[in-house]
Amino acid sequence: MKHLSDQELMAVVQGGDYSPASEIYDRYSARIYNFAFRFLKNAEAAEDAVQEVFVKMLRHANQFHGDAKLSTWLFSITANWCRDYLRKADNKAKESDDVLVTLPAPNELSPERNLEMRENEVRVRKALEALTPEQREAILLSRYQGLSYAEIAQIAGCSEGAVKTRVFRAMETLKKALTGRDSGGDRCLNAIS
Amino acid sequence: MSECHLMRESMPLLLTESLDRDRRELTHQHIESCAACGDEWAAYRDSWAIMGDLAEVEVPARVKQRFLEAAGIAAGAPLEQRRSNVVPFYRRTSAKWLAQAAGVVIIAGGAYFAGNQTGALRVDPTPATIANVQQMPYSIAETRVLPASQISPQIEGRPDIQNVQFLDHEGDKIGLSFDVTSRVTVTGSPSDRSMVRLLSYVLENNKGLSASPSRAIEWVKETYSDPQFADPEIASALAKVMRSDQHEGVRIRAAESLKTMPAPVAGDTREALIDALKNDPNPAVRIKAVEALANLARSGEALDPATIDTLRAKSVQSDENLYVRAKAAEALSNIKLQ
Ligand SMILES: [Zn+2]
Repeated sequence: MKHLSDQELMAVVQGGDYSPASEIYDRYSARIYNFAFRFLKNAEAAEDAVQEVFVKMLRHANQFHGDAKLSTWLFSITANWCRDYLRKADNKAKESDDVLVTLPAPNELSPERNLEMRENEVRVRKALEALTPEQREAILLSRYQGLSYAEIAQIAGCSEGAVKTRVFRAMETLKKALTGRDSGGDRCLNAIS
Repeated sequence: MSECHLMRESMPLLLTESLDRDRRELTHQHIESCAACGDEWAAYRDSWAIMGDLAEVEVPARVKQRFLEAAGIAAGAPLEQRRSNVVPFYRRTSAKWLAQAAGVVIIAGGAYFAGNQTGALRVDPTPATIANVQQMPYSIAETRVLPASQISPQIEGRPDIQNVQFLDHEGDKIGLSFDVTSRVTVTGSPSDRSMVRLLSYVLENNKGLSASPSRAIEWVKETYSDPQFADPEIASALAKVMRSDQHEGVRIRAAESLKTMPAPVAGDTREALIDALKNDPNPAVRIKAVEALANLARSGEALDPATIDTLRAKSVQSDENLYVRAKAAEALSNIKLQ
């Protein structure tokens, strides 16, 4: 199965045979889980998201069009699920500061660099939490999943222009939180606008 | 909207390398000529780099189990790999390799099997060298430990290896456990030919790993980045993973490991690094590849003209990631000409 493309695997699923499920899961579960976890800040909810997304993928396989990218389709389902989750007010209270198994840092790193990474990690997590859900969704998909603005627009159900604005605003907030630098160019901005 | 504002909106796109050529040029020109936007760009790049320190979290194994159960698929294994009490059928090639391995054990280890085994392992009694051990009926009842030095380094066909586990170092030995016809554990020194061959096989075929491929690569890297175990064959297996794996995370990990492999490396490994540098769509893979080439240059390994040409082209390619360009230039400055 490993040599089959996403489209070929999905064609098998569309034919009613679920045997590629495991292979598709292996290809995408880590990305979906990481996105959901960072979006929802809750490991348990992220597990549910993964479960729901893959079950939905099997049940609604026929909604997948072979000319689309499977990743975009799966992230659409994931983002929808996550947005629904956040909408339910009582879930907000459950946001948890889960400590999860993170993949080990490469061990050729110096202890100083390791420490720095751990500190940065905490700062980034806090900074991401300060974003609006729309901004967080856009930045997670762009920075951590490498998706294009066109793909993100499709997933978020907005225009590419809106994605651009969301990423820009998210970066303004992150930049301030991570480097302490506010828009350093106000002089220039004000002079022209 | 001011020009500066427009440029700043483009900065995230510049970081993800998704601006078209003209817009990229325009933005860079502005950044170079406008001090405020230059500062802003530096802050963007710093933030982007710090964001890279957010570690990836691992999906707990139970999530997959739960999903496969919900999907009506036996937990733990895709349909085609489901096991039962019936002795599974394996391809002849696989049988041959194991039989051969077993044969060699008998020859080299004397009564190793005969003494430990009640099953019907029958071996051609003719004294044999590795080359003429023939396929034979066999049955191995339970998990056993085979010293790598006593199995054939010649893996025939494409044996169906499943549930591969990497065992912790024990003294100077490493170990690899897997199912072929039953559970087999092969232990030996990292420099054992059979161990090297087996690891290369598992890496290249990405076969039935019980850990993620990235973990497997990490495990291999830990052992073989030690100069005393430097092995061109391991590097070459990693190079194949970097060339062909469709998961960018795995390709990045493979390239990263190659970066730590001590020179010398075989020609095909160098070619794979050049290919990755030239063609890999993921900038992180290109970065690791150029770093690996820079390390090779620094270690005094002579690089061939094709490598030098690629590095030269990369160092001036205007639409390439700036770090890649700088590293390519650095590698060039360290090159020892052939
Ligand atoms: Zn400006």
